[in-house]
Amino acid sequence: LFAQMTGQKVLTKQDLEAPLKEMHKLLTSKNVAGDIAQQICQKVQESLIKKKLNSMYRVKTAVRQALEQVINELLLPSTQLNILRQVVSKRDQASSLFARSKTQRPFVIVVVGINGVGKSTSLAKLAYYLKSNGCHPLLAACDTFRSGAVEQLSVHAKCLGLPIYSKGYSKDPSLVAKAAIEQATKEGNDVVLVDTAGRMQNNLPLMKALGKLAAENQPDMVIFVGEALVGNDGIDQVKMFDKAVSFQNKYQKVNAILLTKFDTVSDKVGAALTMTHVTNAPILFVGTGQKYHHLQKLSTNGVIRSLFA
Amino acid sequence: MVLAELGGKLRDSLRKLHTRSGRVTTTQLNSVLSDVARALIESDVSVKLVMTLRDNVKQKVERLIEEDDDDNDDDNDNDAKKEQRASNVSKMVQKAVVDELTSLLEPARKPHTMKRGKPNVILFVGLQGAGKTTTIAKYANYYQKRGWKTAMVCADTFRAGAFDQLKQNATKLRVPFYGSYTQADPVAIAEEGVDQFIKEHYEVIIVDTSGRHRQEAGLLEEMQEISAAVDPDNVILVMDATQGQSLYDQALAFSNAVDVGSVVITKLDGHAKGGGALSAVAATESPIVFLGSGEHFDDLEPFNAQSFVSKLLGLGDVRGLMEA
Ligand SMILES: Nc1nc2c(ncn2[C@@H]2O[C@H](COP(=O)(O)OP(=O)(O)OP(=O)(O)O)[C@@H](O)[C@H]2O)c(=O)[nH]1
Ligand SMILES: Nc1nc2c(ncn2[C@@H]2O[C@H](COP(=O)(O)OP(=O)(O)OP(=O)(O)O)[C@@H](O)[C@H]2O)c(=O)[nH]1
Ligand SMILES: [Mg+2]
Ligand SMILES: [Mg+2]
Repeated sequence: LFAQMTGQKVLTKQDLEAPLKEMHKLLTSKNVAGDIAQQICQKVQESLIKKKLNSMYRVKTAVRQALEQVINELLLPSTQLNILRQVVSKRDQASSLFARSKTQRPFVIVVVGINGVGKSTSLAKLAYYLKSNGCHPLLAACDTFRSGAVEQLSVHAKCLGLPIYSKGYSKDPSLVAKAAIEQATKEGNDVVLVDTAGRMQNNLPLMKALGKLAAENQPDMVIFVGEALVGNDGIDQVKMFDKAVSFQNKYQKVNAILLTKFDTVSDKVGAALTMTHVTNAPILFVGTGQKYHHLQKLSTNGVIRSLFA
Repeated sequence: MVLAELGGKLRDSLRKLHTRSGRVTTTQLNSVLSDVARALIESDVSVKLVMTLRDNVKQKVERLIEEDDDDNDDDNDNDAKKEQRASNVSKMVQKAVVDELTSLLEPARKPHTMKRGKPNVILFVGLQGAGKTTTIAKYANYYQKRGWKTAMVCADTFRAGAFDQLKQNATKLRVPFYGSYTQADPVAIAEEGVDQFIKEHYEVIIVDTSGRHRQEAGLLEEMQEISAAVDPDNVILVMDATQGQSLYDQALAFSNAVDVGSVVITKLDGHAKGGGALSAVAATESPIVFLGSGEHFDDLEPFNAQSFVSKLLGLGDVRGLMEA
């Protein structure tokens, strides 16, 4: 269709129309949200229009290369985020200031997201990762709502040989988090991992409660946990959670994304693009299974390969 | 859900078919079908399904459509005739679109009906975190309230805290339950639990299983073993409304592995339109029986595809479409 050799031609909007339409369809079929696919195609168009095309290239090839470029730029921050460095640097800073006093506040991480995406499991994986790298995490059981949530976290704590702070069900999760941080400070844990109950992003009372927890405990890092399986709803989810955590304290925001169930989508990896495009929050890790070691850095090349698979 | 918002979008785009000239051209038809396709894809309906739907509609109406370059100004039809023809064509297109959507929602297979005084063994399966355990509690609540002798079996021996989760729900609902903290074999537990409740003359015996996915063959085999051990009267596939393009293939894999007979769509209290989960109906050729709309035991609505379709696209909306 558009595969003709184009010689030393200047690319016009018209030349790009058909290949971009094709690209949009490809992206949506790979589970990139419709709006985001549109914006990505727009960027590709901007980068190509009025460009002189080397006679060896077909328009389609040029479009594909431009798309790879756009994706690389989009995912670049994800490859650079390093949670371990952040935890360690806070610990070192504190210990130099207070000469290893027992009053240094730990690095506080809160995981947030809608129901069932994998917050608690990812929290356990993070704890395993941090422990394996010489940190001393405390788990805080602040999902005080869902049946079995506290026991679920206790099982992980036991398997990982880590301490857990829990106060059962029906308690104010913000207060439980506060007490957990206090205990960690006393016991010398350098990082606290706060589990929270899942909630729909449009559930105002629950989102407000999350804002309260964030404002009252001032976490060093809020991780939005989302599924690689998520469809167009991903845009709304990450936006609304970002809004909720910054509601009472504008310095608080979603600092990173953890994309779970990456092992269940095969080549339909589009959610990675959808999520990062919305908030610019980098993808900290992807979850690739149900075991503790199933946590990986996102591979930009892998994403590109899957899109064109 | 997806179709609820589609009605309006459909009306808007179908309006494009009413042209002054009284002709509907290929370009116009394509543009309308693109609108419909976009609306469906943005609701997460499987792209594959949408393309099929589009081709089917096209095939049905093709012979009524005029070519763009078909320069037939010299034909001597009068205006009234043109008007008539255009409105027939647009009605045909509407009907074709509606029929295709309806067949998406209305599989040939009829929902399972519970039998009084007999054990009805219902096996719940689905992806990780879809909402199986929570839906089981709601489902038990639903039948127990209607006077069925109901019990639950926890055959999820994998997820941390799974048995506690089911146990806490069962205790709150005062529904008997069966499970173990030490037995690691889900097949054995499922079999023992179901046998026990059959002996005790329970009518609705619900079996919870771990989450699984098609990429891990061992997990699908385990599900087949559980199914073989308890010989369920119905297998219910639980699908999450927030999920997108991967669901069709996942649902297909579940359906190929065990005899899925019904679908429940959860998390419709969020903003998601549920088109991915809807695609599961096509993949499994099984009807939706309930919709989940929250985390509480009462947040479960029975779903009847037929009445949903006729309410939405039938009387109300089709008349709307016709008047547009
Ligand atoms: N295949 C796969 N499953 C995962 C992954 N991450 C989590 N899960 C599974 O997803 C299910 C839900 O995980 P949870 O950690 O309980 O999810 P949650 O977000 O804490 O759920 P709520 O607290 O109920 O909102 C469990 O069965 C996990 O084993 C992953 O990366 N891959
Ligand atoms: N808002 C909302 N949450 C739901 C709904 N159905 C289930 N959930 C929540 O989704 C999360 C996961 O539900 P579970 O019942 O644990 O899911 P599951 O399929 O049993 O998970 P695994 O056993 O790990 O595979 C929990 O937080 C539930 O409360 C629903 O209809 N609406
Ligand atoms: Mg949890
Ligand atoms: Mg479960």
